[in-house]
Amino acid sequence: MTGEPEEGRIGSPARRIEDPRLLTGRGRYVADLTAPHLAHAAFLRSTVPHARITVDASAARTAPGVIAVFTAADLAGTLGPVRFDASIPGMTQLVHTALADDRVRLVGDPVAMVVAESRYLAEDALELIEVRYDELPPVPDVATALDPAAPALYDVAPGNVPYHDSARYGDVDGAFRSADRVIGRTLRQHRYMAAPLETRGGLAVHEPAGGELTYHASAHAPHLMRMVLAAHLRLPPHRVRVVVPDMGGSFGSKWGITREDLLVCAAAVRTGRPVRWIEDRRENLLVGGHARDESLHLEAAVRADGTLLGLRAKLVMDIGAYSVIPMNPAFFTLALRLLIPGPYRVPAYDFEVSTVCTNKGPYVAYRGPWAVETWAREVLLDIVAGELGLAPEEIRRRNLVTPAEQPYRTAAGWRLDGTRAPATLERALELADLTRFRAEQRRARERGEVLGFGLATFIEPSPGGAEFLAMSGGGKETARVRVEPTGEVSLFTSQIPHGQGHETTLAQVVAAEFGLPYTAVRVVHGDTDATPFSMVGTGGSRAATFGSGAATRAARAVRDQVLRLAGGMLGAPADELELAGGRVYVRERPATGLSMVQLAGMVSLAPAYLPPDTPTELAATATYDGADGGFAQATHCCWVRVDPGTGQVEITRYLVVEDCGSMINPAVVEGQIRGGTAQGVGGVLYERLHYDEAARPLTGTLRDYLLPTAADVPPIEIVHLGPEPGAGPPDHRGVGEGGAICAPPAITNALSDALGTEITQQSVTPSFVLAALRKAGATLADPLDR
Amino acid sequence: MESVELMVNGVRREGRVEPRRTLADFLREELGLTGTHVGCEQGACGACTVLLDGEPVYACLLFAVQARGHEITTVEGLAAPGELDPVQDAFRRCHALQCGFCTPGMLLAAHGLLADDPDPDEADIRGALAGNICRCTGYQSIVAAVRLAAAERRRPAAPEGAAR
Repeated sequence: MTGEPEEGRIGSPARRIEDPRLLTGRGRYVADLTAPHLAHAAFLRSTVPHARITVDASAARTAPGVIAVFTAADLAGTLGPVRFDASIPGMTQLVHTALADDRVRLVGDPVAMVVAESRYLAEDALELIEVRYDELPPVPDVATALDPAAPALYDVAPGNVPYHDSARYGDVDGAFRSADRVIGRTLRQHRYMAAPLETRGGLAVHEPAGGELTYHASAHAPHLMRMVLAAHLRLPPHRVRVVVPDMGGSFGSKWGITREDLLVCAAAVRTGRPVRWIEDRRENLLVGGHARDESLHLEAAVRADGTLLGLRAKLVMDIGAYSVIPMNPAFFTLALRLLIPGPYRVPAYDFEVSTVCTNKGPYVAYRGPWAVETWAREVLLDIVAGELGLAPEEIRRRNLVTPAEQPYRTAAGWRLDGTRAPATLERALELADLTRFRAEQRRARERGEVLGFGLATFIEPSPGGAEFLAMSGGGKETARVRVEPTGEVSLFTSQIPHGQGHETTLAQVVAAEFGLPYTAVRVVHGDTDATPFSMVGTGGSRAATFGSGAATRAARAVRDQVLRLAGGMLGAPADELELAGGRVYVRERPATGLSMVQLAGMVSLAPAYLPPDTPTELAATATYDGADGGFAQATHCCWVRVDPGTGQVEITRYLVVEDCGSMINPAVVEGQIRGGTAQGVGGVLYERLHYDEAARPLTGTLRDYLLPTAADVPPIEIVHLGPEPGAGPPDHRGVGEGGAICAPPAITNALSDALGTEITQQSVTPSFVLAALRKAGATLADPLDR
Repeated sequence: MESVELMVNGVRREGRVEPRRTLADFLREELGLTGTHVGCEQGACGACTVLLDGEPVYACLLFAVQARGHEITTVEGLAAPGELDPVQDAFRRCHALQCGFCTPGMLLAAHGLLADDPDPDEADIRGALAGNICRCTGYQSIVAAVRLAAAERRRPAAPEGAAR
């Protein structure tokens, strides 16, 4: 056993169980897996954004080492058209083939697949495939797509709008009529992406005799993937098994099932060889999953004192040319529309959304897919405060739903209960000492230095409580716990750890039920033949609440079995027994007891000596519906210094004050918050997927698409409010997405403060900063004059 | 095909490779040392960092034949089986990894730094690791781990470093 005796108890920063293997190079990621007679796949991808195509692959078929070459026509009998009938009202299903048949819709569209003896030989053969491109007019952006003269990417979606919907909550017209001011802006997020360090990939093995397909994949919804693979390959779902090895990050981007997943499996079925495909970085940047590219026109109806009366929100999402299965971006707007008011009192609002197709990469989930609600709202609040002559913190104070008002019925009809966003704001303001900062900012300005401060406050459904879950398409989660013959415990979870440390945190919660060291709990995950069904897998900051909720309940059921069995053997009723340290004993006679090893051993190996109704294993399955789960919340504060000569931005201090209830493992919580915040820093200051006016991508390497490095991300201070005194049973709430959601508005608000100008776009590059400084004029020297 | 002889983690290894085979692919596919990860093949992410004669290099930007006659250290060579070296142990204690994909490269970059500078300050560490991208942690825990490892290495009689 490791470390201090207390290491592993709930609330301790227990060292992670997964780390020794990951630290010594003994992790097993999908690219590390192999199989006898392994073959390798590579894709020929379109070099133009939009065209009719004809493909001649004949020369490649006889190239050295080539096992098979597939075009769309070659796979027609193996793989059905790509579709997933998600039941979202108002959404047009964009059906297409897995390999482009007669038309390509973006640079990177897969046109042909080569399967060869090595990846090198597969890529050699790609060069022998001839594609004739008859180019169509490109659709590089939303404005072009919505022009009636633009070509439709899909015949079924004329006008390039496959989804349009609207909703109205409360008396919006009345709110706007009675307002002293209506203040609105169009707030624009740019296209950026999760960019996990491990790209996508899979290894498919098909057993022709039994018809079983096993797909090892870097993906975190394996049960959903199994169903999608089965449907598209026309196999019975129970003959398909998806296994997830160690995974090198995702941040939502590997949640969906992609065309390449279908194609690699089809290749294994057709060639009879195990087939592995590992995405390269250029492919990942082109088609591995884009996000965030949308604009939200947000109008606030306010009283002169800053009281919010209503909002109008109009969202336009640039979803690119294809959707991954089944996550059409329309799905994200179900939660997004509910969250627009965030933690604020907004008696009425309306919401309108259009998704728009362009010749760009697919839009996928990325760490808080609804994040635009927080960014746009928090930016607009600063703008409204400025127009009304209020401080940013003051307009928030006046509108945040206070604890005394809860349970609070939101305009959309769900209940906000137990949230503490105002407490995170007040604590952050104490720590920020703004009076002192403002004085320092003025003095700095006189010296020609540009400083700024910004803050943002938000709530994160984790998972949001019964009503929110029902309205946003939530779901349940199941776990299974089993005592092994050694007295150790196995947990079978449908969570798919890929950095979140579930092998440790879920072990901590199960171990607590048995009084075992956390290292005595094995967490089994990522195999559809072993783990309980879940449509979601890991996503939506669910693990802390759903994963641990299901695990705890299953562990308690097994604990009851253990106590009943031991009670029978010790001749004592269960309520007179204690279970601690892996041993059951009679409370009054601690020397009289049985170890879990003895009990499990008896059940497994000596059933004849036990009562006839004793189960054959100590195991139980339990389901948790998340109904008593709530929200995590935080206030982020950001301090910046801008170099007026170069436009470089330095984050000089960053503070997060958060409340996620009771923490299972604070080191894991803080890792999630810091990692998410770093992605927010990247999104605002560095990362941007560029396309030119003809929809040609300009960011094909990680030297063009800049991920923040150790030299760019500041230290991030974190303050946990912790559970309120007298709070109920342990209440663990997820924090996976919050950092990435709340950091962008804190940073852009700080930059807006520094530059003395409204910032209504999320991407703030040095050239933007310099242009803003020039526009602001002030006393700063124009850098271009030097 | 070309023959390659080199030292890998203190053991003499040889193989026959195409001249175009990268060192990263050679280590992973021919020698089975899959701890060297490939994140970009563009010389940008640092996941494939190994030590060549003690200096950190990107194994995706070298051909296997260029390593002929040199000494390579991969993550598998840092500690005996079942043990962690002081840098690995510091990473574990500081929670300096999440998904673990960047970790082998990060460890070797840290070793490269500590070999040159046994007492780096925070800015030195952040600068030295700027060629290795971590998408999970936000780096703070990695910087803390390198500082901790440096401090423990400087201790005169270091206690047994690897707990497990």
